Amino acid sequence: MWAAMALIVLLFFFSVYGAFIGPERAKAFFNTAPLGIYWVVFALLLAVGIVLFRRLLRVPALLLVHAGCILILAGAIWGSDAGRNIQKRLFGTDIVPTGQMQIYEGYSDNRVVLEDNEIRELPFYIRLKDFRLEYYEPGHIYIQIRQGDAAWEFPVQIGARFQLGLQFGTVEIVKVFENFKIAIEGDSRAAGDEPGTGTNAALEVRIEPPNGPASTRYVFERSRGHIYPDDQLYMSYERVIRDYVSELQVIRDGQVVARKDIEVNHPLHFGGYHFYQHSYDAQAGEYTVLMVSPDSGLASVYGGFLALCIGAFWHFWLRKLPKPVQTDREQQDQKASKWKSNTQSRAY
Amino acid sequence: MEIKYTVQGLLIYISIAAYLLALLASLLRRPRAGHTLYVLGFVAAVVSFGYRWHHVRHVPMQNLFEVFLCLGMIYPVTVFCRRVLHIGGRSADMLIGAVVLVPAGFFFNADPQMLPPALQSWLFAPHVAVYMISYILMAKAASHALWQLTGRNPRPGENLLPSEEATYRLICIGFPLLTLGLVLGSIWGKLAWGDYWGWDPKELWSLASWLVYVGYLHYRYMSAKRHPRVNSLWAIAGILVIIVTLLWVNLSQLFAGLHSYGAGG
Ligand code: HEM
Repeated sequence: MWAAMALIVLLFFFSVYGAFIGPERAKAFFNTAPLGIYWVVFALLLAVGIVLFRRLLRVPALLLVHAGCILILAGAIWGSDAGRNIQKRLFGTDIVPTGQMQIYEGYSDNRVVLEDNEIRELPFYIRLKDFRLEYYEPGHIYIQIRQGDAAWEFPVQIGARFQLGLQFGTVEIVKVFENFKIAIEGDSRAAGDEPGTGTNAALEVRIEPPNGPASTRYVFERSRGHIYPDDQLYMSYERVIRDYVSELQVIRDGQVVARKDIEVNHPLHFGGYHFYQHSYDAQAGEYTVLMVSPDSGLASVYGGFLALCIGAFWHFWLRKLPKPVQTDREQQDQKASKWKSNTQSRAY
Repeated sequence: MEIKYTVQGLLIYISIAAYLLALLASLLRRPRAGHTLYVLGFVAAVVSFGYRWHHVRHVPMQNLFEVFLCLGMIYPVTVFCRRVLHIGGRSADMLIGAVVLVPAGFFFNADPQMLPPALQSWLFAPHVAVYMISYILMAKAASHALWQLTGRNPRPGENLLPSEEATYRLICIGFPLLTLGLVLGSIWGKLAWGDYWGWDPKELWSLASWLVYVGYLHYRYMSAKRHPRVNSLWAIAGILVIIVTLLWVNLSQLFAGLHSYGAGG
């Protein structure tokens, strides 16, 4: 058991060290060969412990805790790069490691770009039917005066009028556009919303200064828009993204075999891989970036999580706690006999 | 440091003041007054949390400000420990309550934020809530460990556990919650980022604090209570690492990790 203590304390120091060096270097560090050996030794020691200390086998809750740790370690080792290489050599299984896919709207692809830029192919295709962003409602309009530091922020609502004080008059929100386009017909130009691809969110606002003619301005989310020389106000339109949604289809042998709208926290699971919403085309919203991650070892890790949690609650909440408060004397007696039985079982 | 001239701020300050007065009353051997003030502080803390919830329209456990606000509602833990576990330490709880509200009241930014997509998950609230409860229990355990080290124990008539035993019991309740918090965080990471373990500093510190308690449990079992002072030191080391987990990684901003959007609260 001293060996177990040593490994636990060692892992504590490894973790603290890892926390200091940041995630990328920590990941590399925990995947180096010496650490690989450490993980295997830890898993083996747990297994040896279960065999050696009878109480770990006899008390199911403790067995769950320790076996859970073994399952987690085994799953993690199995799913690591080293684990995958060994499987490839032993069984010839060829699993695509974690990587990214970039897919344009209306196209399908099976290529995964790995961290080292190597390209691998999945045995099926993913098609992006549509990609869209969803926003928190309402968006906000920010208004700043050109000289000075007065500034305002208002929630966007059609028809809302905001008083900016005596000097600047009022601002009214007239229209809200998802995809602003100017249509030119003959001499007249009309602002409209164009459905379909692309996003160009904009607001049409009407400014009514206290003395002077009213004017119409367009405020864009992406760019500052045009400011006339005599404009007194800078305006910007801002929305906070609530979600990214990719409508995906899985295509195998020309057939759609699965479909799912994935968003952050709601990945697609197919063929031993998870597909996550990872990133997107911030310019035009035309492609999505998925992160692909294989399931190898995952079942074991999750099984281990379950065993560990059940074991811990069982052992500490159900077995340890309901005992009534004892006098000091009783406790000492009990501890003494427990210690005896433990030293006996150690003789195994 | 900034003073919050808002209803939210006022509620937090009332809570802190009530907790501190409660502590003072307890130290002056006025247990009834102490208890009343403690309950008053708790009510203010609950109203403050509810106010925040109403204000931001999601479970307020997204950033450090909200997390500490939540930690301030410590009274039920005191009652549970006293009634069910026969564990005292009410005055320490008053102090813990006041101390955890100080950062919320004076340091963390309370501007409401929209939930970023990664935080919108059913796992989010349980993950944080479970951690909060276990942290409070571990803080209480550490306070009993301190008493053990200074040789303080409940008086015989009080029907309370001795300090060392109380520390152990509290860790017995806190440890499974700590384990569950770690596991839920990991599953959430898998759902949100595609990996159940990201080697990010926040994860590694949580693992480190979990390991301190694993070490404590094994050490206490192995040494069969022959070195109670060492047991207490383990428990105090545990809460110190938890404090680092909670604060240092978020505040230091030195290491940009996955959890960095929680920074600055
Ligand atoms: C991260 C890894 C480990 C975890 C989470 C863990 C967890 C636990 C827990 C929760 C207990 C119960 C302690 C108590 O009742 O106070 C325990 C006891 C024990 N553990 Fe571990 N353990 C780990 C590693 C190991 C290893 C590697 C060994 C083997 C050499 C080991 C051997 C034991 C033994 C012999 C007991 C005493 C059981 C008893 O009779 O009550 N543990 N462990």
